[in-house]
Amino acid sequence: MTEKAIILALCLLYYFVPDAHCGIDRPRGVPASKASYYKPGETFKCITDGKTIPFEYINDDYCDCDDGSDEPGTSACPMMMFYCENKGHKPEYILSSRYNDGICDCCDGSDEFGGEKIQCQNFCEEIGRKDREDRERLILLQTEGFKVKLSYIQLGQSLQQEKKARLTEIASEKDTYEKLKTDLEAKKNEAEAPEKEAKEKHEKAWEEEKEKKKAVKERETALMAFDEIDANDDQHVEIHEMLLHPEFDIDSDGTVSHDEAKEYLEELERAGQDEFLEKIWPNIKEIFKSKKFSDDVKEVETTESTTEQKEPEVKPQPKRDNWAKHEYGDDDDEDEEEDDEELEDEDYDATTPPPPVEEVPEDKMPDYDEETQKLIDAAEQARNEFNDADRKVKDTENEINTVRQYLDIDFGPEFEYGSLKGQCFEMTDREYTYKLCPFDKASQRPKNGGSETSLGNWGHWSGSEADKYSAMKYEKGQNCWSGPDRSVEVILQCGTENLLLSASEPSRCEYRFDFATPARCIDPATLQPSPKDTHDEL
Amino acid sequence: MAMSTRCAIARSKMSLTKCFILLSYFICQLYAVQRDNFKTCEQSSFCKRQRAYQPAQSPYVALEDSLKITSNTIDIQLLNKDNNVRFLLTIFGLQDNMFRIKMNELSPIKERYEIPVGDALKEEPAQQKINFAGKDKDKFVIKMSNHKLLLSLSPFRIDAYTDETPVMSLNSQGLLKFEQMRIKPEAKPPADDSADENGEEANPQEAVENQEEKVKEEKKEDETGMWEETFKTFTDSKPHGPSSIGIDVSFPGFENVYGIPEHADTMALKTTKSTDPYRLFNLDVFEYDLYNPMALYGAVPLMYAHNEDRTVGIFWHNAAETWIDISSNTADKSVFSHIADFVKGNNEIPQTDTHWFSESGVIDVFLLLGPTPRDVFKQYSRLTGTTQLPPLYSLAYHQCRWNYNDQDDVKAVDANFDKFDIPFDVIWLDIEHTDGKKYFTWAHDKFPTPEEMIKNLSVKGRKLVTIVDPHLKREDGYSVYTDARDRGFLIKNKDGNDYEGWCWPGSSSWPDFTNPVVREWWADKFALSEYKGSTPDLIVWNDMNEPSVFNGPEITFHKDVKHYNNFENRDLHNIYGMYVHQATMEGLVKRSGGKERSFVLTRAFFAGSQRYSAVWTGDNIGEWSHLKVSIPMVLSLNLAGITFSGADVGGFFKNPDPELLTRWYQTGAFYPFFRAHAHLDTRRREPYLLPEENIKIVREALRLRYSLLPYYYTLFYQAEEDGLPIFRPLWVDYPKDKDVFKIDDQFLIGSSLLVKPVTDQGQTNVNVYFPGKDNVWYDIDTYQTYDGSMTINVPAPLDKIPVYQKGGSIIARKLRPRRSSSLMYQDPFTLIVCLDKQGKAEGELYVDDYHSFQYKNGDYIHRQFIFNKNTLSSKNIDPKGQFNTREWIEKIIIVGFPNEPKKITIANSSGENSRILGFQYNENNKSLTIRKPGDNIADIWTLVIV
Repeated sequence: MTEKAIILALCLLYYFVPDAHCGIDRPRGVPASKASYYKPGETFKCITDGKTIPFEYINDDYCDCDDGSDEPGTSACPMMMFYCENKGHKPEYILSSRYNDGICDCCDGSDEFGGEKIQCQNFCEEIGRKDREDRERLILLQTEGFKVKLSYIQLGQSLQQEKKARLTEIASEKDTYEKLKTDLEAKKNEAEAPEKEAKEKHEKAWEEEKEKKKAVKERETALMAFDEIDANDDQHVEIHEMLLHPEFDIDSDGTVSHDEAKEYLEELERAGQDEFLEKIWPNIKEIFKSKKFSDDVKEVETTESTTEQKEPEVKPQPKRDNWAKHEYGDDDDEDEEEDDEELEDEDYDATTPPPPVEEVPEDKMPDYDEETQKLIDAAEQARNEFNDADRKVKDTENEINTVRQYLDIDFGPEFEYGSLKGQCFEMTDREYTYKLCPFDKASQRPKNGGSETSLGNWGHWSGSEADKYSAMKYEKGQNCWSGPDRSVEVILQCGTENLLLSASEPSRCEYRFDFATPARCIDPATLQPSPKDTHDEL
Repeated sequence: MAMSTRCAIARSKMSLTKCFILLSYFICQLYAVQRDNFKTCEQSSFCKRQRAYQPAQSPYVALEDSLKITSNTIDIQLLNKDNNVRFLLTIFGLQDNMFRIKMNELSPIKERYEIPVGDALKEEPAQQKINFAGKDKDKFVIKMSNHKLLLSLSPFRIDAYTDETPVMSLNSQGLLKFEQMRIKPEAKPPADDSADENGEEANPQEAVENQEEKVKEEKKEDETGMWEETFKTFTDSKPHGPSSIGIDVSFPGFENVYGIPEHADTMALKTTKSTDPYRLFNLDVFEYDLYNPMALYGAVPLMYAHNEDRTVGIFWHNAAETWIDISSNTADKSVFSHIADFVKGNNEIPQTDTHWFSESGVIDVFLLLGPTPRDVFKQYSRLTGTTQLPPLYSLAYHQCRWNYNDQDDVKAVDANFDKFDIPFDVIWLDIEHTDGKKYFTWAHDKFPTPEEMIKNLSVKGRKLVTIVDPHLKREDGYSVYTDARDRGFLIKNKDGNDYEGWCWPGSSSWPDFTNPVVREWWADKFALSEYKGSTPDLIVWNDMNEPSVFNGPEITFHKDVKHYNNFENRDLHNIYGMYVHQATMEGLVKRSGGKERSFVLTRAFFAGSQRYSAVWTGDNIGEWSHLKVSIPMVLSLNLAGITFSGADVGGFFKNPDPELLTRWYQTGAFYPFFRAHAHLDTRRREPYLLPEENIKIVREALRLRYSLLPYYYTLFYQAEEDGLPIFRPLWVDYPKDKDVFKIDDQFLIGSSLLVKPVTDQGQTNVNVYFPGKDNVWYDIDTYQTYDGSMTINVPAPLDKIPVYQKGGSIIARKLRPRRSSSLMYQDPFTLIVCLDKQGKAEGELYVDDYHSFQYKNGDYIHRQFIFNKNTLSSKNIDPKGQFNTREWIEKIIIVGFPNEPKKITIANSSGENSRILGFQYNENNKSLTIRKPGDNIADIWTLVIV
């Protein structure tokens, strides 16, 4: 027997299958709903293209109709769908290209008829049962999850209301504070004017007092110099006395000449105290060196230099090259970084100076008089009150922004995701701990320590058009070397509690999280009834 | 993968060591300066010496008295007059119109490397009787059928003639330069040294004075390069000194030469007057540049010369680093070329001169005398063998990515292909599937149950490829490594210790695949009991087998590493990669007890690689220019016998946009090896991720390929015998049409399909050249006709691939789409009969079980279909074959049929069992569709149209 004969024999079997459901015979691969197109007769009319062919061409493994309707139960027409009845489970259509290809696609095995490649078992009952069980589990999950979701909705909505109420409240608070601020500013200005006047007066008086003191001191110094130069105590400074002071050696030849002395004496032979103070002292005070004073001066200098030393000469600088290294280093030299930090600490300690000693000023301005002090205290109080109000205005502005930002976020049609904001969820795999803070950010950090890497910040809902709330996108995370910014697609599913289920990186630096949350559950009442109840064939 | 991608890895994983950071730093430098990693001719001392060699007259003379004649060979000694070194030259007559000319030192102080017979040469070439016809003037005449060689004695040269027409000459330019093995001179005064070297150069007495000075200058430089050579930070110790060989080969009368892959260049080779010579040196080149003579991953030292009258070829049987200079009196437009003196004074005759030089080994040249393209392919295949008929799945579509991350990922990709009804046969796992880049192991956390994963694929007739590279991680717990180490199978460095270099796993060593015992050891590693987690549905990919050594000179082995029999890598570098994939293939075949054909993909290759593995063009880039260059690259591979080859669809690096990826699928659907691949850093790009419109187009391109699998399979079956290219330049079928000699943006698949893919962005029209004066070509989608010898601008919107079936051909296709090729094995055929202007057509179909070696025992069907005078008949053209199959003929479409017939009948060979068949005639495109002949494909029948 030739192969051809076998095929012909098989073709005969192709034509009809008894349908237990309706008791009507119809060609293999045709659902009962379409049986009427295939009424036995002389000819068959292709369903959509209207071509007429002999009836025996149906399911003869040759595609005659452009719409493929003559081959519902073979793979001859590539665009056709094959109908499996799948009794015990749900019926389905498979691509006709999967008919007789050696793989059991339908649970009733009706897609594999040839019999040579494979013998299919009918396991519809089994998978039907499993499917129903799965479905029940799913409904149970949805039911449980939905209960939680209802509380989430309530929470989300009350959060919304709270925030909205808070926004109104805070706006009026802000108004109040602004008014208060304006008032207090006026009061402050009012109090500051007399304060300023009184302070200036007090300070001016002190300046004058200081000038006076300075003049007296200058005269004292001059008189001391006079006494010192006046070696013979005759109350006159004379040329021969000047010669004893080497600082008057203008040309630096080692001796003070008569002329040099005379020049300092303003061409006088001698000068009395008054003349000295008036004419001579101003010219020599810069060069005059007192022997007596010199000890004092030295003393002063020493004190001064010690004081200076107390000031740190060079402030410790952070070691730039180390920092630079940190900037260019990558994640891999974690250890090195720590070493550097330790080193720096040591460096710093070595150069840290002792704390500076407080200096007591020689001339301290006397305290304000009682009257002035009163004015100052009043102004200070006004200032504090104003600053308080100003801070409150700023605080309310900040809060308004925060609340507005919250209100701008799309927390789902019923605000069911609202309560997730502010929470974070983690999961750990072999290498990393992943963290999701909904509506905020996503990140990862190595399991065995190390710094956190941002995988993205809240972007937008990214589900399909039909189901926008099925996925979230977190974007603009840390940039990948020679690649994109990291980002995460979070796929949501129903769960009885919030749980970060898995994290993966399907493409480089494009992550995927699976996240279960009650917020994603749906009302079990809206779920399609169990397939056992209906036997829809389309 | 190119080594340089290591940067990305080092940066992304936090747990890697500091060594990696250093390494990544080193490698990242390549991004800017990758060309500097590879030598120019100037930087390679032997290349520089050989290229500079321009003697006034060749110092080599043949010694008449030494002549020895046997029935198939002639021996004669050559003398280099400059240094009195003697050589032995042997001329062999070979069957199928070939001469072999071999030259070695008469008594070398150290054995020179010769590639063992059975490696590049599949066996000792069958010899042919030659006639020594005495001496004509100062030339010996050696005859073999209508061919003859004239051997000139002084200076030595050989001219090959066919029917009194000169076709090839050796040493007609006097560039023969054979550096004898020598003792390293002691540190002597420089004067002595130069005396020693004098022999290498032209006789100073004959040279003009300034030339002599130049020679001396060069010699000084040469000395440094001869015994030690430094490139970048790498020093080549060269313990045996200079050993290079070189000779010129001229092709009088030829303007076009082809072959010597692998280069990212045009199919027709270019003159190298103003560039470096073409280089053959297997290297891992990161993001390779296009249109230049730089070396790439593989090497086939085979060149064809072709003109309207004939095709000849030369096979340079040498595995050392090789450079080839090409010049042409037409392309170079200079009047330098001294054409062989027998050419009757016509200086206008085009001529291509080539100059071949290798770093070591012997001169072993095969002259392939054609005279037709088909003859030269057959000749070359007699030498190095052909591609074994691949299992059908390997001709289908391969889905690869670095990396599919884990079992779930593999499962999801597999499921998505089915969900989107896109066929695929093989899914690939790159290096990340291993435990720490230790091949033959699995990253158990990601792939805990590989057998189960493979089973999930194989129930749909699909296969899994894992990558197995030749570098072994030096880790004490890694048994493949310790086993190789303990048995002394690892390659040694110059000091005799195990060679160590860097590759994916870090510190690595390499088995010495040049040793047959090591190959056998390696092959056994693929036994199912050895390779845990593997199943018969797991097949293998050998990458990095040039080999790639991240910290080696030019990213490969040091030249002074030691192989089997104490040869250096310098001697055999280009063949190492072939030994790797040969051993792998032998292991896979052995695994099934020799019953099942298998599949291996390799990146490095050599002459002979076609016998074991498919080849891809390495790490290309997702850019239009790389799509375009893939065509000449795959054409050149096909010309060189590596028919089972292709480029990575989509480009390995970077992210192709949907248009480019779509066009690449349309082109790739015709590569003999059809795989999509992508770098770790790229975005996912499995075809189902494309925009809907593009998915549709790509699905159609894939279905077209699957529908043509019977045609590809038949071509591969034929090519196993005749060695013809599958992906074929037009000149192979239209050798007399000068207009096609340089065409490398369109190609033939076999003889019957002409393809002109769109390889430019935004392009919606292409110019197609339809070859063959009397031909008519049919658009395979619309059956619109195009006459031959015309260039026509045809519309090519994104959903159109310009593909044409030749009038006069019959192609059997399987038009029922399935999920994988193995699910098609019982599907019926549709015969597409495209009539020529005489109303005739013919074609062949080969059928077997598509996977085993049973076809070698006669389990096959080979049919011819002939259409003539309104009769189509099937004919058993190979009665030795017999095979039972359920495949049958569902439809016959006759295109170019002039008018509606009255009646069509079909009957078996003896005229019995006659039946009337239904039909449909389309007046518009003159196509006649015959309904359901129903005959089994094995049947012999005759169909008559009235």
